[in-house]
Amino acid sequence: MKISDCMKCNVVSIPATLTIAEVASIFVARKVGLLPVVDEQDRPIGIVSLRDLLELELPDFVNFIADVDFVHDFGAVETTRPNPEELAQPVTTLMQPAITVEENCGLLRAYALMLQHNLLDMPVVNGRGELVGIISWVDIGTAILSAWQPKGNKEE
Amino acid sequence: MILPAILSSLILLVSLWLIFSEKLNRTITAIAGAALIVVLGKLLGFYSESDALAAVDFNTLGLLLGMMILVALLEPTGFFQFLAVWTGRVSQGRPVRLLVLLGTVTTVLSMFLDNVTTVVLIAPVTILICEILGVSPTPYLMAEALLSDTGGVATLIGDPPNVLIGSAAGLSFTDFLTHSLPIVVIVWLAALFLLRYLFRRELAVRPPKAKAVLKLNPAEALNDRKTAVRVLIVLGAAILLFFVHHLLHLSPAFVALGAAAVAMVWVRPNVNETLQRIEWSVLIFFAALFIMVGGLEAAGVLDALVRLMEHAAVIPPVLFGVLLIWVVAGLSAVVDNVPITIALIPVIQGLGAGGMDINPLWWALAFGAGFGGNGTIIGSTANIVVATLSEKTRTPITPKLWNKRGLPVMLATCAVASVLYAIAFPLF
Repeated sequence: MKISDCMKCNVVSIPATLTIAEVASIFVARKVGLLPVVDEQDRPIGIVSLRDLLELELPDFVNFIADVDFVHDFGAVETTRPNPEELAQPVTTLMQPAITVEENCGLLRAYALMLQHNLLDMPVVNGRGELVGIISWVDIGTAILSAWQPKGNKEE
Repeated sequence: MILPAILSSLILLVSLWLIFSEKLNRTITAIAGAALIVVLGKLLGFYSESDALAAVDFNTLGLLLGMMILVALLEPTGFFQFLAVWTGRVSQGRPVRLLVLLGTVTTVLSMFLDNVTTVVLIAPVTILICEILGVSPTPYLMAEALLSDTGGVATLIGDPPNVLIGSAAGLSFTDFLTHSLPIVVIVWLAALFLLRYLFRRELAVRPPKAKAVLKLNPAEALNDRKTAVRVLIVLGAAILLFFVHHLLHLSPAFVALGAAAVAMVWVRPNVNETLQRIEWSVLIFFAALFIMVGGLEAAGVLDALVRLMEHAAVIPPVLFGVLLIWVVAGLSAVVDNVPITIALIPVIQGLGAGGMDINPLWWALAFGAGFGGNGTIIGSTANIVVATLSEKTRTPITPKLWNKRGLPVMLATCAVASVLYAIAFPLF
């Protein structure tokens, strides 16, 4: 099986000109975990993940304290929001380099890429580098496991 | 003897400049400087490899290593996290009370443990408490660095310059408690009141979520109670032995390394993990500096400095001591206080050999090196650690802010220390 067999083709992408606030509303409206940022030719130039945006609200101590189990109430940080100036910044300030897979890539290679780059979703491109779909960790994982099933599996 | 003196001073000055300008890591600079000075000594015949080894003060290194091992065992138990969380609860989220309590806990810890370790372990929990409360952590972080640097001057093991001075001058743990502690207590209180005043605006803000800290459970923050208790028992026994080490003819290094050995046998940790927590770069930095300064001494540079200072010794001894506090403090604010102390120790010993009463000068050196570090953001390693940590938060501590809030603390502590030094001079 290849990536193109299990990816989602209905993919939402964004131009690099949007602000963080605008991108946040797209995340809310489309309920997605990752938005590829594309150029005029629809080629991914970067990615913005839900996690990158949430980082703006995450308290600093979470990065310093290895185990926050003993903190039962996050107090003031539960209700602190990023300030409007921060949200008016262009989304390119949060953009990460695009890690993409080609549509004919094997499943295990794609899974290993995600694992090593700590990604939950990955844009899929065709031979010309144009965005053709998006694949999630769950899509790949279940596709791999489907090969373990005794019948009804679609081997290549 | 002119050429060795000029060349070796040049090596030291270039090294200090490299460390100060942060062009090269201080440990790398010191190793390179030490190697250069040995090469120079061998070429010109004033310093040999065995001289270099003999210049290393293994008492200092042993004491530091022993204490580092004990802290390395205590660190993963969550004991420091426990203390900071407990402090947060007891403060009930009241800013001034939190400042005083966190400052006190950090100071008491840093009197017996390395300042840097103390600050590294307390600062993250401070950020946690402040974020939960909804206040800026800056006043608390700066107070922790400034107060631990100030408090560390009180004991033989509280501060690396003290370890160096104690080892060179043969001062015992109790000597520090009787000579340094009383002065440091008053200086520390002055620093605390000044911090309260300098941060009055920040501390006047009522935390919006004061109740949230009451839900923190210190017992849950302690990950490994059994190990923590064991290490604390050994640490307590070591501190008791420090009180009487001179009566038992034990060196502080022996006490510290012995305690480390007992604790390792009792706890039986994964030794690689424990040794990874030791700050080897600090120990190597010290050893390399000893070798460099040993070379300078062999080249006759320090003798020249001693003769120069003997001319200055016509001024009254009290004034000479106070002057030493301020000169050392000024130097310690811009360069690391460890090289300053290592370089000045043989100079003071030289003055003693010339017949001057040098006992009061040791204390002036300790006060200057200890309090001077408060002056700038790079004045002490604890300051650098706190500043680096805060850079990763939403409220970074800038050099400009440090000049506004830290420099006054340095000036005040040095001034109070000078007055008390002058009053207590006949007792030193």
